[in-house]
Amino acid sequence: MTSTSLFVPSGSRLLRSGFLLPVLLVAIVAILVVAPLARIVLSTLTPEGMAAWKAVLASPLSANLWWRPLFNTMILGFSVASGCLIIGGFLAWLVVLTDVPGRRLIGMMAMLPYMIPSFAAALAWGTLFRNSRLGGSAGFFETSGLAIPDWLAWGLIPTAIVLIAHYYSLAYTIIAAALSSVGADLVEAGQMAGAKRPRIFFGIILPVVTPALIAATSLTFAGAVANFAAPALLGLPVRMQTLSTRLFGMIETGQNERGFVIALLLIAVSALFLFLSDRLVSGRKAFITVTGKGGRTKRFPLGAWRWPLFAVAAAIGLLTTIVPVLVLAASSLAPQSGALFSNWTLHFWIGEGGGEMAQGQAGIFRNPVLLDAIWSTIRLGLVVAFTTMLLGLALAYTIVQRRGSLLATLLSQLAFLPLLVPSIAFAAAYIALFGAPIGPFPSLYGTFVLLVIAASAHNLPFAVQSGRSVLGQISADIEESARLTGAGLIRRLFAIIFPLAIRGLFAGAILVFVKMVRDLSLVVLLFTATSPVLSMVAYRYAAEGFMQFANAITLVILVVCLAASFLAHSLQNRVQKWKES
Amino acid sequence: MNAIATGAANAIQIRNLVKRFGTFTAVKDVDLSVPAGSFLVLVGPSGCGKSTLLRMLAGLESPSEGEIAFVGQTVSSGAGGVIADAGRRNAGLVFQSYALWPHMTVAGNIAWPLKVAKWPREKRAKRVAEVLALLGIDVLAERYPAEISGGQQQRVAIARTIAPEPSILLFDEPLSNLDAKLRIEMRSELMRIHRATGATSVYVTHDQVEAMTMATHVAVLNNGRVEQFGRPIDLLRNPETSFVATFLGTPPANLLPVRRVGENLVFGETVLAPSSLAAGRDAVQLLYRAEDVGVGVVPGVPTLVARFAEAAPIAGRTMVTATIDDLRVTGMADGYFSAIPGEPVALSFIRTPDAVFATTGERIHQ
Ligand SMILES: Nc1ncnc2c1ncn2[C@@H]1O[C@H](COP(=O)(O)OP(=O)(O)O)[C@@H](O)[C@H]1O
Ligand SMILES: [Mg+2]
Repeated sequence: MTSTSLFVPSGSRLLRSGFLLPVLLVAIVAILVVAPLARIVLSTLTPEGMAAWKAVLASPLSANLWWRPLFNTMILGFSVASGCLIIGGFLAWLVVLTDVPGRRLIGMMAMLPYMIPSFAAALAWGTLFRNSRLGGSAGFFETSGLAIPDWLAWGLIPTAIVLIAHYYSLAYTIIAAALSSVGADLVEAGQMAGAKRPRIFFGIILPVVTPALIAATSLTFAGAVANFAAPALLGLPVRMQTLSTRLFGMIETGQNERGFVIALLLIAVSALFLFLSDRLVSGRKAFITVTGKGGRTKRFPLGAWRWPLFAVAAAIGLLTTIVPVLVLAASSLAPQSGALFSNWTLHFWIGEGGGEMAQGQAGIFRNPVLLDAIWSTIRLGLVVAFTTMLLGLALAYTIVQRRGSLLATLLSQLAFLPLLVPSIAFAAAYIALFGAPIGPFPSLYGTFVLLVIAASAHNLPFAVQSGRSVLGQISADIEESARLTGAGLIRRLFAIIFPLAIRGLFAGAILVFVKMVRDLSLVVLLFTATSPVLSMVAYRYAAEGFMQFANAITLVILVVCLAASFLAHSLQNRVQKWKES
Repeated sequence: MNAIATGAANAIQIRNLVKRFGTFTAVKDVDLSVPAGSFLVLVGPSGCGKSTLLRMLAGLESPSEGEIAFVGQTVSSGAGGVIADAGRRNAGLVFQSYALWPHMTVAGNIAWPLKVAKWPREKRAKRVAEVLALLGIDVLAERYPAEISGGQQQRVAIARTIAPEPSILLFDEPLSNLDAKLRIEMRSELMRIHRATGATSVYVTHDQVEAMTMATHVAVLNNGRVEQFGRPIDLLRNPETSFVATFLGTPPANLLPVRRVGENLVFGETVLAPSSLAAGRDAVQLLYRAEDVGVGVVPGVPTLVARFAEAAPIAGRTMVTATIDDLRVTGMADGYFSAIPGEPVALSFIRTPDAVFATTGERIHQ
């Protein structure tokens, strides 16, 4: 809506000449997004690639390489999407449309799980439910004398539960936003017509929020399909493979072509569903509520159900936020991973190495590899946040300035492409492109630079979106009225544009930072010993059975993420408060 | 607080109605009744409790005390809450926001309440076509609310409300989102619809012009209380409170605070009227209508000097507003008049005050 004039003729001839920046951006986006995807496709068209296609799709191996992982992936996708829809929808309904007590508390708890990395929940699940079938130490329940059947300890069911516990929060956010847009007037108009509550719910509320339900379904589906951490931690030990774990396994064992083929198939599956749901939504009339005085919503009385439903909602909130964190914390202090609450020690945090415990390894804060990883992680987060926001701002500016032109359309379509590509497949594409030297350039594989480039590319959709919203805060009017006072470009930049944009940029950057710090599926393929990051180290420890270390590191990640999210949240609020006044 | 008509046959009867939200009282002891076919306008400044009163009539809100009866049937009361549901009191409400269901077409919006009321299909289709024609929006039938303009949405909202043929129509500031020209057009349109349906209407507005042009009965609300209830012309001629006197009428009437000095009532140093008007009080307020205040010195009548503020030509004369300290006084000048803001102008009080009010606002009858 709001057009922007960040740069003005006198100021920056370079940008104003309107040539260099767009060309540069097209080149950057082409290298970041198009080249890796094109390369991975091409890699599978070589003779080795064709052999890999055959092996994956039509050979005795294909049941193991493709059909079974596909089957598992689909089951996960559908069960997670429906679970998220039910739980997220239930909580959203409760918070937005009823008079349940403690609505704000429930709403806040429902937003939190998405801030917690999915491998935290997976690790917590393992800590509680692991059984001794696979050797290694048993989890808390089995140690306390409760026999845990295999289906509850490993495989599809725990993976699905952990993913639902993570992604329902996304569904909640989307559905709650849609429900609060259903104004009280719409409902009361139904009441005036004599409709009863079920009729109003099914005849008015549900149809109005259907697009949001579809969006929530497809996004949680895509999330579950692309997730690596949960199936890897809970499924791999019993050889349950999904497409993403298969892809990881192939690349890790050097069967790159097969890995690329699976990556392409994974992209196809995920993109197909996102595309279908997009069709479904845009095929309908966009149900923008027409007018409506600032979101008063109709709250239905729950009567006797108020407290029971509150208890259910609070239990969901506790089980998916506080409980996993407490379990991780207790486990990081317990010498025997099954006996969570006895003989607590700080050994896994600050203990010296060389003793009996943990095969002589030092606590995480005394382990140089780990300290290194903390530093790398934060560095990665900061650098990617910076590059992402810079790129996002430049792209958004160009897209807004040239709205309607072919260039703008091209740029925005390309920048949103990574949204369709699961991050682990995206990482595979980067290996395809940069895994070998290109001309005079050395192979980037395993370098910090490659991680930064891949992460920036994968964050492009978010970057453009937040760049646009930042620019949206600086309407042309504001900038022009400043210009009418006679202030020069530099003066305007510092007095008007920076103060208006900086908080939005900062908030966006923090979100990128959080995404990077807790990310596993992108770094898991691009990581090497020279650039370890926390999530990867935690994953390695977990895979090797050092649960306490894995849990302790995960807690560190969590603390960093929550601190940053909190910062972003308070910044966002300040931005908005100030927008209202 | 004075009911015009009483009796069981009243279409709407409101008795001692009170609505509290927590400790805040939004509607205070309202008593009103109107016969079938009336057009009752509730008018008052924003926040005075108009919508709350209307929502109690609609059955969307339950009264804290008192009672509402439609045609002798109690539909809500402080003791019984909402006795007849919103859908069961044969009343329709046009929302200020229109509240069109965004996922239904125009025809769908109009038909849905009929569907809920279990009208048979043919009758439904016939009625939808009928109201579409009545509002002149036939061509929009298959559009979605997001695809039509604000004025058209307004018509759809009205069509949807009148389709089930309610005997009571409720309107909550229905014209406030329209531009000035459309507002005047819809005003006549609404009155035409009122005549065509014969339904008793209750119309909420903060615009006194709408109240004066449309109403058969007006209730002026202030702070949750009915200041005065009656026919529009009676309210204009015989305001019972200073609030009503200054709220109604175009241009607004002037209220001048005066003190009693000996035999006279004086404003500043100027003698305006004999003290007999004050009925023994030391300070009162005098009501002068704009047409009773001339611009320029007129011999033999009291004159005040004020500072010119603004002028607006109206029907060949000019409405002149000037200030005396913080008090705005409006008078009429013949022909066109203009001055520089801040320049002194003489205001002459060419007739005796139209009414006298106590400082607390109630009328002092002579
Ligand atoms: N649901 C509510 N809860 C608390 N206060 C309310 C509620 N609805 C209205 N009020 C208050 O009652 C007063 C009258 O409101 P309303 O009837 O909407 O005024 P208006 O005359 O502008 O339509 C206002 O001060 C408003 O803040
Ligand atoms: Mg109102």
